[in-house]
Amino acid sequence: MGVISAIGNSVAENHIALTEAVCGVKKEFSLFPTKYAGMLPFGQVNISSVSLPGKLNITEPGVTRTTMLALHAFNEAIRDAQIPLPQLSSFDTALIGASTVGGMCLTDELYADANNNTEGSPYTLSYDCASVALYLQQRFEMNGIINTINTACSSSANAIMYGAMLIKNGFAKRAIVGGADSLAKYTINGFHALHILLHENCTPFDEGRKGLNLGEGAAFLVLEKEEDIAGKKVYAELTGYCNANDAYHPSSLSEQGDGPFFSMRGALQNAGLSASQVSFINAHGTGTENNDEVESRSLLRLFENMPPFASSKANIGHTLGAAGAIEAVYSILSLVHQEVYPNLHFNQPIATTGLIPVKSYQKIQLQHVMSNSFGFGGNCSSLIFSKA
Amino acid sequence: MFISNIFKSLNLMFYIHQTYCISPQKTFQQASLETLNPPTKKRLLAIEPAYDGIPPGILRRMGKAIRMGVGAAMPILKSSNPVNGIIIGTAKGGMEDCIKFLNQIVQYEEGLLAPGNFVQSTSNAIAAQLGLLSHNKSYNTTHVHRGLAFENAVIDTIMQLNEFPDNHYLLGGVDEISDFNYNIETLSGAYKKESVSNEHLYDADSPGSIPGEGAAMFLVNRQKEKAIARLLAIKTLHTEDLGLVNTSLQQFIAAHLPPSKKIDLLLSGENGDTRTLKFYTGCEGLMDKHTAVIRFKHLCGDVPTSAAFGLWLACYILQKGPIPAHMIKKPVTGSPYNTILLYNNYKGLQHSFMLVSG
Amino acid sequence: MDTATLKKQLKKQIVEFLNLTSVNPDDIKDDEPLFGEGLGLDSIDSIELIVLLGREYGINIQDPKEGRKILVDINTMVAYIEQHRTK
Repeated sequence: MGVISAIGNSVAENHIALTEAVCGVKKEFSLFPTKYAGMLPFGQVNISSVSLPGKLNITEPGVTRTTMLALHAFNEAIRDAQIPLPQLSSFDTALIGASTVGGMCLTDELYADANNNTEGSPYTLSYDCASVALYLQQRFEMNGIINTINTACSSSANAIMYGAMLIKNGFAKRAIVGGADSLAKYTINGFHALHILLHENCTPFDEGRKGLNLGEGAAFLVLEKEEDIAGKKVYAELTGYCNANDAYHPSSLSEQGDGPFFSMRGALQNAGLSASQVSFINAHGTGTENNDEVESRSLLRLFENMPPFASSKANIGHTLGAAGAIEAVYSILSLVHQEVYPNLHFNQPIATTGLIPVKSYQKIQLQHVMSNSFGFGGNCSSLIFSKA
Repeated sequence: MFISNIFKSLNLMFYIHQTYCISPQKTFQQASLETLNPPTKKRLLAIEPAYDGIPPGILRRMGKAIRMGVGAAMPILKSSNPVNGIIIGTAKGGMEDCIKFLNQIVQYEEGLLAPGNFVQSTSNAIAAQLGLLSHNKSYNTTHVHRGLAFENAVIDTIMQLNEFPDNHYLLGGVDEISDFNYNIETLSGAYKKESVSNEHLYDADSPGSIPGEGAAMFLVNRQKEKAIARLLAIKTLHTEDLGLVNTSLQQFIAAHLPPSKKIDLLLSGENGDTRTLKFYTGCEGLMDKHTAVIRFKHLCGDVPTSAAFGLWLACYILQKGPIPAHMIKKPVTGSPYNTILLYNNYKGLQHSFMLVSG
Repeated sequence: MDTATLKKQLKKQIVEFLNLTSVNPDDIKDDEPLFGEGLGLDSIDSIELIVLLGREYGINIQDPKEGRKILVDINTMVAYIEQHRTK
């Protein structure tokens, strides 16, 4: 696995920060000039765009911050999995990436190029979401199936699902799956225009919650078949997954939350598990009034006895296209270390549901962990990881 | 050898039962390709139908990509039982709305901004609208891998059918060419600098192609009866190495062409760009003398998801749609076409082969 | 500007801003609900109308929920504009 976020530049750093309830969402912002710097809190990765190329040995122009964050996490994942370079280039190694921002983090360059105000920046080929996976494909000369998914906030959860299906169907022997998104004027202004970007730190599942914080980051996981893992370090097993649609509204979930309910139930069915076997839920929990209430109701609809649950978005912000993958890593860390991390900034349960997330670090026995990601367009995905 | 043996054992097929295409040519209703519609301001712009099936209250919000995607899919969604999944490929879907929102950010200096464009700018807005309009709560996903966005959607559909063989899926590819996309792609050297009519696209000895747009949608499942076409196999490849493309194609054919069949027709994605011509001529060189060659990019433009148009075209041909002379590169007379190879690449890096039969 | 003219202007602005291409501004009744029934607008439209009020009339509404109380029909909108406009 590999991960980079506002609370750490590696799996180990993220792990320590989670156990210590570190909040990486702060008002200090230094990535680019924006009216909101210093005004809104963001989950910014603590490496500047200027120093990333040097750290990552990138010499070519036109590489965006999103791609650099992806490369950072990708490097860690392939080192961790000890994949030799020839195997990385093998026709049976797939790469499935995800991003919602892609190269649009370069808002000013994109504006100039799109409105024909320039001779052409170095980024004209780097604006789309595919530019991230394409960069990795070229850098590592990868020859298997390469793909990019964009389903808004559930993107990298769907990328994980797609990679697993490729292996299951024999289209790949191993799949490196994940996602990346960097903070961008585009998404900051978009969520602010929707009145769901909060001026303070978000409070997932709290009665007083009023919105989300944006974050950035990347995570990649290496998936392989059971038959091929002998002698290798194994973190966890992906035992279930499902994608379903709420089909209600472009940017909010329905009251009854069919989308979340069906994706969670479908993942359980896919895993051959009953709801009572889920030990912990890494919730989507953005901190918006709509998501947290609907997610809570869907959880209550599915789970007769609610397992412990928590959102990590108060630690790192909502990392959009990277969220599914980063939170998959966090779910796996929970399983490996048999512990759960607190849902930060929680005060009072939502009055209509009464649900209380995990409030402090705890060591508990975990067998199966569910991770939820619900995106714009009603796109709902749930993954289930089980102890290896 | 090893590679083709592996793929021989994979189930890579599905049947196509319905297909609709909105494009710069007369493809949507009572398709006729005889008259070649020319570009407008150097772009092949799609002919949009009346969109009677879309409620005005929803239509008003849709950018062109979403309109075309929904317009092409509605006949399928209305005529069949609810599908078990909606799987879309789009490279630039939503980009127009994205840049409209960007323009607001600049114009109003991050001040009071209307969020409608932002909400519609996510690439999955097309698939999401389709789910919304058909009240479909099942599997819904969007692949955005540039020149292989549609092909990845095809692979996804195949895998879904492997898991659920009784299911039906709506599969599609959509892309639009807005002013903004056009400007960015022009700056990157994608299009011919000189004005070229699409009729002479392949004669201009220069780099670049011609932009286009469109949407092609398919109802697919594993039921043979009343199918209009069958996808036998698909393969995708990332390389700039001509030798590797040729070897992969040979292995693909060896693994998937049924022993009793031969490739009657090559649908070539040749696009008039001298930089990538070698891949298409290489592919032609691997065909035997009985294989006709037809080109289609002068109809739809060099769209990242043009393989979707190509697949629609394969269905059209298998249903005995007349092929006009302007599409024929290498004529072969004889029995009607039954087995078609579709080869396409995007910018000489992302390649795909699809084998389609009647 | 008298109320009647303001109503006419507002209807035209709403149709243009929300791209209601199938709606004739003159056909919008003054007491026709904007949301749910009537014009059938949704939550994104409510935010867009707040933006419209800000850009055209200099009215600053921070909370969309407060906004919904004003955005009932043309009558309520016009009454609010007349009271609070700064442009």
